[in-house]
Amino acid sequence: MLKGHLDMIVLAALSAGPAHGYAIIEEIRRRSGGAFDLPEGTVYPVLHRLEQAGLLSSRWVTADSGRRRRVYGVTKRGDKMLTDRRKVWEQFSNAIGGLLGGTRPCKTPA
Amino acid sequence: MQDAGLIDDYVERLAGKLDFDRSLSQCVRQEVEDHLREAVATDATNDVAAAERRAVANFGDADAIAAQFAVISLAKQSRRTGSASILGIAAVFIAMKGRVAWYAATQWTTNIDLESIVGIVGSVDRYAFWFSVIAGIGCWLYIGTRRFPHAFNSTFRKQLDRFLLVSTAMIAALMASVVSDGILTAIQLSGTGFSAGSLVPILSMAIEILCAGLLALHIRSTIRRVTQIAALWNA
Repeated sequence: MLKGHLDMIVLAALSAGPAHGYAIIEEIRRRSGGAFDLPEGTVYPVLHRLEQAGLLSSRWVTADSGRRRRVYGVTKRGDKMLTDRRKVWEQFSNAIGGLLGGTRPCKTPA
Repeated sequence: MQDAGLIDDYVERLAGKLDFDRSLSQCVRQEVEDHLREAVATDATNDVAAAERRAVANFGDADAIAAQFAVISLAKQSRRTGSASILGIAAVFIAMKGRVAWYAATQWTTNIDLESIVGIVGSVDRYAFWFSVIAGIGCWLYIGTRRFPHAFNSTFRKQLDRFLLVSTAMIAALMASVVSDGILTAIQLSGTGFSAGSLVPILSMAIEILCAGLLALHIRSTIRRVTQIAALWNA
């Protein structure tokens, strides 16, 4: 289930500002309260794919350790995509919440 | 101690699996090594060897990760092939039109005995070329509008099969057009002695052959890449 939402998770983790792969994974772990403890390597192909799709941009920097480090940031297109995904997710979440809780959803589901 | 061992072996294994795409392999090597070294550096324990083992284990299976990167590389290569097709066809068109303009400017006449052959070959040339234009644009639009795949699944495989089938038909038609151009050029040049003016049609033919040849090699390389990556996913 998590796999299908990796794009949105990575975009959301980067919404606070540019970061390198390790920091993105730490951010996902932190913001999900440790619930999304995925194999770290799976995030990198997602980053590359999102960059190819124009949703992320990247640049190489030299870290304090002297190692070359790739830093990713969300593009305008990526930002728009995240906004759209958030809306869809909220509608879906409300609908499921309504179903499971037996209450009416706040918004019309997508 | 920290600079050799488990992390190096892991990074080497992962990058080695992506050797077919050197720039990706190098990029992944640097990026993953930075990640693993960072994980070791931030590990709370003082046991470096154990921290390296944990970092590598948390990163996941190198083969599975390489397979995911390979799909992105293949998607990129197929898009490049689509763009190369358009550029190749455009270059052939410019060379062809340049040669025709040169014939007109220099009032080069066709050997009257061979006019019927010129008519047939000229028709083959035209139809083959315009077929390649339509197929090339179709390929470029088709592959360029597909979403980047998550995996080497049946949907992506079908997209690639369609793309490569039309690309192969396109390059076959372009080759037929270039061969026809070669025949027409040979007819035009026959009966006239070699002069400096002959260099223009010969040069334009060389450009056409080069462009079509490079494009054929590019398509072949994409077909081979599909086979390599299919093997990686099936391993």
